[in-house]
Order: sequence, then structure tokens, then C-alpha cells
Amino acid sequence: MSHLTTETFDSNARAALVDTQLRGALRNATSLFGKRRLAAARGLENWEDLRTQARAIKDDVLLHLDRYLEEFVSNAEQRGAKVHWARDASEANQIVCDLARQQGVRNVVKSKSMVTEEIHLNDALQASGMEVIETDLGEYIIQLAGEAPSHIIVPAIHKTKGQIAELFTAKLGIEPTDDVDKLTSVARNVLRQRFANADLGISGVNFAVAETGTILILENEGNVRLTTSLPKVHIALMGIEKILPRFVDLDVFLKLLPRSGTGQQLTTYQSLITGTKRRPEDEGPEQLHIVLLDNGRSRMLAHPTTRQALACIRCGACLNACPVYQQIGGHAYGSVYPGPIGAVITPQLIGLGKASQLPYASSLCGACREVCPVKIDIPELLLHLRAEITDRKQEQEQAGGRRQEQAGGRRQEQEAGGSFKKRTGERFAFRLFAAVMTRPRTYEFSVKVGRLLQRSIVRRGKIGRVGGMLAQLAPPLGAWTNARDMRPIAESTFREQWRAGLRDDTDPGSDT
Amino acid sequence: MRVALFVTCLVDQMWPSVGVSTLEVLRRVGCTVEFDERQTCCGQPAFNTGYSAEARQLAERFIQMCEESEAEAIVSPSGSCTAMVHHYPALFDNAGDAQENHEWRRRARAVAERTFELSSFLVRVLKIDDVGARWPGRVTWHDACHALRDLNVHSEPRRLIGNVREAEFVELDNADSCCGFGGTFSVKYPEISVAILDQKIEAIEKAGVQAVVSGDASCLMQIGGRLSRKGSNVRAMHLAELLASR
Amino acid sequence: MAARESILRSIREHLVASAPHDVVHAEKGDEQSELTLDIGHPNGDRLSASVGVQNDGARSLIEVFGANLEAVGGHCIVARSEAEVIEALNGIIASLQDSPLRGRTIALSNAPLLERLMARVETRVDEIAVSPSAAELFDYDVGISTAQAAIAETGTLMIDSEAERHRLVSLVPPAHIAIVDAANIRLTLGETLATASQGPELSPTITFITGPSRTADIELTLAIGVHGPQELYVVVNEGPPLTNS
Repeated sequence: MSHLTTETFDSNARAALVDTQLRGALRNATSLFGKRRLAAARGLENWEDLRTQARAIKDDVLLHLDRYLEEFVSNAEQRGAKVHWARDASEANQIVCDLARQQGVRNVVKSKSMVTEEIHLNDALQASGMEVIETDLGEYIIQLAGEAPSHIIVPAIHKTKGQIAELFTAKLGIEPTDDVDKLTSVARNVLRQRFANADLGISGVNFAVAETGTILILENEGNVRLTTSLPKVHIALMGIEKILPRFVDLDVFLKLLPRSGTGQQLTTYQSLITGTKRRPEDEGPEQLHIVLLDNGRSRMLAHPTTRQALACIRCGACLNACPVYQQIGGHAYGSVYPGPIGAVITPQLIGLGKASQLPYASSLCGACREVCPVKIDIPELLLHLRAEITDRKQEQEQAGGRRQEQAGGRRQEQEAGGSFKKRTGERFAFRLFAAVMTRPRTYEFSVKVGRLLQRSIVRRGKIGRVGGMLAQLAPPLGAWTNARDMRPIAESTFREQWRAGLRDDTDPGSDT
Repeated sequence: MRVALFVTCLVDQMWPSVGVSTLEVLRRVGCTVEFDERQTCCGQPAFNTGYSAEARQLAERFIQMCEESEAEAIVSPSGSCTAMVHHYPALFDNAGDAQENHEWRRRARAVAERTFELSSFLVRVLKIDDVGARWPGRVTWHDACHALRDLNVHSEPRRLIGNVREAEFVELDNADSCCGFGGTFSVKYPEISVAILDQKIEAIEKAGVQAVVSGDASCLMQIGGRLSRKGSNVRAMHLAELLASR
Repeated sequence: MAARESILRSIREHLVASAPHDVVHAEKGDEQSELTLDIGHPNGDRLSASVGVQNDGARSLIEVFGANLEAVGGHCIVARSEAEVIEALNGIIASLQDSPLRGRTIALSNAPLLERLMARVETRVDEIAVSPSAAELFDYDVGISTAQAAIAETGTLMIDSEAERHRLVSLVPPAHIAIVDAANIRLTLGETLATASQGPELSPTITFITGPSRTADIELTLAIGVHGPQELYVVVNEGPPLTNS
């Protein structure tokens, strides 16, 4: 198992870019989901109103999160659920493992849940001697392969059916086949055995209703229903931000989530679970435990810009719309939350120092904001985080710069404890930039100097590939010209032409 | 109408013909155009890279300069620089004195309200969608992201191009997807930037055009730089240049 | 309890820290909405070529329900009386017997209606069991239940665990047949949610079902019946109500 980390985003991304099979799969998936989303949104006359309404509901929840959480807990517990609070991943894992041990659990079935991936629950359960099986088909495939999900909605999007067939042949001993129905049916049969023997079911939560204590889980396959119906104990894990105030609010979100995620009007199944069964002879688990996880979320409440990220309903629409994600896929982000939303959530969850590349992994094109069903202004958030990163870099450089210079002058990528890339060069460049740009005469002078300096590299009106020492002196120049020609500084700038006569020339059309 | 021209630093230094063309189009439709020679950069590169103090310095300077102008509108041949001016109030959110920030936000909004990207100025403000241009050939349009998504510019350039005599317009498959430029993104992650760009290039090649037109010199440097490297004959052309031709 | 208190405290402290920024943000929000009003919504325009929900008033709820159910791969059969419901069950079971799904062993939920109806179904089957245990259920070919409500605009069934023992009968066998009274079809999801939450206590498990189980996890190729039923038949009873009896 070689899971990538956020700290090596640049090399992860480069590796993804040369994986032609991955890029083909990504292109198919992202464009297909993008088209389906658009068609589904067009199918509702009031799509824009729904987005506005959803965001207003989420804003209300987040501004009163303490009260809504208490309301939810009190209602869920009144109806027989047991609620647990976890400040961080290890507390959450401890709670689940303790519950499992108390119940004498051996076999765990899981339905897809991002939050359990966030806290690496499977590792914790396995370390406690339990067998854990992912039952969503895509998750099952990558669990067998020992890989990480590459897409929120289609976790195994990076694998071909041929690779899946090889995997099933090797691990499950089936005859080789590339028939998708056959592969699906193999998984169904294997997993049915697991369901039959499971003594604990673990799920995530899409929405939790404060007013009623209800949790709602969406799916297409039926594995959530099996996970939450068959074993005698059900544990549901959720981030504290999943709350909705009223039961009828579900209407708004059930219209937005499936349409944004897969382009469906509704996913095949929604399970609305309110407490435990009332009579022993009824179907369903005897115990329902709900684990509320903070793990860095409450910190995000401290600013309206960062708080937005907690409105996310994990639909994946921003991944499909993102030109960066479309090229590199989910693994490169090195986090359970990839794509634009991952680039703003991950640094806030694990710390800016460990994920300082992610907020820069965007062209700020705004496609994510355009498709987001809850109108999260992801570019605004990216910019906010970038500003925080440069501020902290500065602090760190001031504190530790001297020491590092003495240590040999070579730029160190990382400091102990996961911290910021040291880019004093960049900071200096932007100081210089501001100094030049606030002084028109200096600006003009620097343009003239640039014109002189570029003489050696301009050929036939353009600058081709710049390598060698010059590229080392000016890395951006090398980075740009490696695959793109560059326009040189003009022989005569606009303002020079203005002074030379454009100013007085009011006869239109006489000087092109 | 009295108009202040904000050419942007990129156009000034690297693509002055865009500025000249903008000037010509504005004059042709009857505007009196002024150009403040103190103008430099709107601060976008610093803002987008996270250097908000530097961006703020440039914003303050730009706001003061605009306040001294009596022009009714400030017009720029760039969606992203115009969008940057529209983002100015956000620069005065946090650091510094609350009262002072409040005042800066008010001033920033006043400047933003009269700052327009060229095509939306022509179509929305002047209500002109035919500037009497002529350009023989097949052209297509690339939506620059900030014009499209921050300023809601979509139909305006298409209407203007539609009225260029002898020009045949074809829509790109992916007109509204990013070209991969993204400011410092293009040199921080050049491989990703070019991978994104190549999808745009593929669509342009498929469209079989003589020119790809856009409203931002930055996107055009990205697209044009790749076309040039690949030895393509397709010209990357600014909308102002197309509209100035006759 | 320490965790609970510390999370709630953290939420409150961070919200307090946010308050001054919230004031600035509110001001910005007002400004932005003015700006957008001014210049219109070209992006909205790109979206507004609306085809609308499939409900033009001319079609009945049953027709809308049926069309949406078929669109997701389910089958809808309309019956005008109890006799026609039985006829429909007869036909469905017969056709399942001609398919790889066999349709020889039938599991019923505990709704008394179903036993009565099945007694009059002529197609021969090997076994009919009422509400078998979870472990036994894996061996049955067909599950039959009623549904407490349906949603026309999405082709969705609503099953309520307080009304009937059908959580697993509707899920585990490879084919599911559901009977729903036409009177219980609502147009929208919103109406259905509102109705479901009207009682004094919400039912412990409410499940919405829209078509057969599906996945596209392998190369985005649609595969039907991954964990739940491969076939879903809904018999809509237009005659006198059956399911509330």
C-alpha cells in the first residue's frame, strides 16, 4: 500500500499526468458527470433558488451549530440512539473499537463513508483484530487492491474493468472475464456472505435532522440498507456539520445532492433512520450508535470565508468541473478529500503546513463555484488560505531563516513537524513587484531594462525554450517556456505610443 | 462619454496593439478617452498568490488614481483585471483599523461600480453591439474565466463578434473551460497548466479557425504561446483587435 | 462528556471570534447581490432552458409516477381492482419464471393482504413464506410487499417500517414486487416528507426506493442489481384501497 501524501502534491501530479489510462478514465468520468449534472439541474425550474435556499439553511446551521447539535442529540437519544462525541480521529476510532469489543464483534461490514476514511477507521478496527469489509462496489475493489479512492462518487474510477477482472481472479479465484455484469455479480455473491456473517454495520451520514434526531443516508447499490438492517449493531459516523434544522429541509437537499453528484433525480435508496426499533421482533439492529466528529471542523467556524467549507454536502460536482482535477485525478491530492473542495478542506483539517501546496493547485477559474449546489465560493476560500500561508511563511522565515542559512544555504523543502515551503525568493519578488508597480517611473525603467535583457533570447518576435543558467536564475521563465513560447516585451509600450502621438490622434481608424 | 482607459500592465508591456485597438474602438463609438500615465498593475498577481499586503498597496494606489479622474467609466480590455478591481473591497476585510477599512471598502466599491470590461461596456452600458468591424475569416471565442464567472460576461462578446463583417463565428466545444493560465499557477504547476491548455488547443484545432479570440491578454498569451510552439497557423487575437479591424 | 463539552465550547468560541468578520461579510453580500441584479445572470441563462419536472397537469399522478419509474428501469403496472392486482401478480411471477431470476420461491412481508392475494394467484410456485428470517431470506427468488406511499415526480416508493415488516423483503431477493394504492401517490418529494413527519412520532426507518439497485462503479458501466433487487415491479391499485385494510 503506497498512499500518496499532500506534501508531495507536485510530484504526485506529475506522475498522474503521464498515466494515460488514468487521464482517459478521468476525461470520460468528469465529462459524463458534468453533462448529467447540467441536464439534471436544467430539469428543475428553480435550481438557482434551491441553491440559495440550501446555503441559507446551512449558514443558519453553522451559526447556531451548538444549539442544533444539542437538539439533534436529545431527539436521537430520546428515540433510543446513543450519541458519542469525538474531538479528533483517535477519539473516534477509540469509541468505535471499544463499542465493537464490548459487543464481541468479529466481522464488520461498512458502507461508503468519507469520514471513516478521514480518520482511517479501518486500520484501527483491523489493529483491534476485526475483519472489515467495504461493501460499496467501488470501495470493495480498491480495498481488495489496497488502494485509495480517487473520486468521491466513483472511488475506483482509475481502474479499468480488465484490471478489476485481474484483481478478482487473483483475490477471489474467479475465471477471467471482462463482463461488467459478471464482475458485479461476483462481488454481490462474495459480499452477501459477508453481510450474512456480520455482527457490526458501519455507515456514514449524509444529513442529520435536529428536529427529529433522524439520520439520512443516500445510495444506489443497496449496501447501505443491508449494512444498517442486518447486523445487530449499527454505528453511524458523521462530521458535526451534517446537521439540518428541520425534517422538511431534506426536500431541498435531496433535490440538490443526487442531481449534483450523479445527475439522478434521486439516488435509488434513501434510508431515514430515527432511533432504534420499537419492538424486539421488528427488523433492524438492536443498537444504534452515532459518533459526532469534530477533528478540526469547529475551527473553521472562526471566519465566514473558512466556515463555508462546512456547508459542503460531498456531491463531487466541483471535482468533475475542475480543470486541475480533470487532469490529475484524486490520488495526487494525497487526501480523502480531493479536488477543489479537498484543496480547501484538507489544509484546514490537517494544518496549512502539511498541505500548503493544495490551495495553489488551482487556476482560480471558478468552475467549482458555478456548480456547487450550496454556493461555496471555493476560489475565495483558496485565496484566503493562500494569504494565510504567505503570512505564516513569513513568520516562520523570520523565526528560523537565519538558522537555515547558516546550515548551508540550500533551500530546504520541509522543516520538522510538517511546515511551509520556504520561498523567500517569492516573497522578495512580490515585495519588489509592489515597489516597482507603485512607482510609474521605476516601472517604466524596469520595462526598458527588461527589453535590453531579453535581446539575447528573442528570436523572430518570440521567446522559445529557455534552459540552463537563465532558467535557474528566473525559474518562472524556464517553467513557462518549457512548453509555451513567450511574448517578449514590446519594442514600444502602449504608454510610449500614447506619448508619441496616440494621445492627440482622435481620428478613429488611422493608426492600426 | 468620457472614458478612462485602463490598459493593464500586461497589455502595456507585451501586447500594446490591444491597447491601441481598444482606444480606437472606444473613439470610434464616440467616447472621449483619457489615459492616466501613472497606471501600472491592479495587484492581481500579488493577490492571487497570497500577498495581500502588496495587493492592498496597489489597490489603494489604483483607487486614489481613479478617484482623481472625472471619467464616467473606467474601461479595460481585460476581464480578470476588471474582476480584480471588483474584488478590491475584499482586500480591506481584515488587517488594520476597522473604521479605516470600512472607508476603503466604500471607496473601492465606488471605483468598482464604474469599472468595466470592454465588451460588457460596449454592449451593456453603451448598448452597442456593432462597431463597424470587418475581418474576413473563421473565428472562435474563448471565455476568459474571470470575465465569464466573476463578471457574467457571456453573450456580449458573441454579439459583438456576430456583427463583424465577413467573419464566420464557430463556438468551441469547451469555450467556457479554463485555458490553464491562472496567473502564477501557470509557472508553479506548469505541467498541469499545459495539460489543461492542451484540451483547449485540441478544441481550437478541431474548430478549423484562423483566429481564436478572447477578452484577456493573459489567456491569449497562454493559448498563443502553445499554438506558436506547436507551429500552428491559428492566431491568438484579442477581441479589441478584431473589433478594430475594418 | 469531556469531549462533548470541549466540542461545544470550541464551536462557541470560534463563532464568537467570527463575529467581527461576519459584519464585514454581510456588507459584502449586500453589495454583491446589488451588482448581480444590475447586470443580469448570463450563467443563470445558460441553465434556464428548463424542461421542467415531468408534470404538465394533463397527465395523472399515476402516469407521471409510471413514466419516472420506467425511466430508472422499474416496471409499473396499473390495476383497477383487486382482481386486476391478482392478475398483475400472476403475470409478473410467470414472466420471472421465464427469466434467470426463476421466481419459484416467494417471500411475503407480514401485510395480511398479500397472503390473501397470493392465495388466488394461479401461477404455480414452489414456496410462499410469510416474513422469513433474515438468514432464510437470502434463498428466496421474489419479495413482495406493499408500499405506504409513492412519489410521482421521481417514480419513488416510500416504505415505512412501522406499517409493515418489509425492510429486507424489499431488499434481499433479486426481484421485488410492491403494491401501492393510487390514493397514496403524491406529486412531490416535499409533500411526501411533510406527510411522513406529520404523526406524533417519526417511524424508526423510512426508506425511499427509486428503481432497482444499480451501480456504475466499474468503468461507469451501468450494472443493475448489485446488492439489492435486479427487478422492481410496482402494481398501482386504482381500485378501492387495499393496503390500509
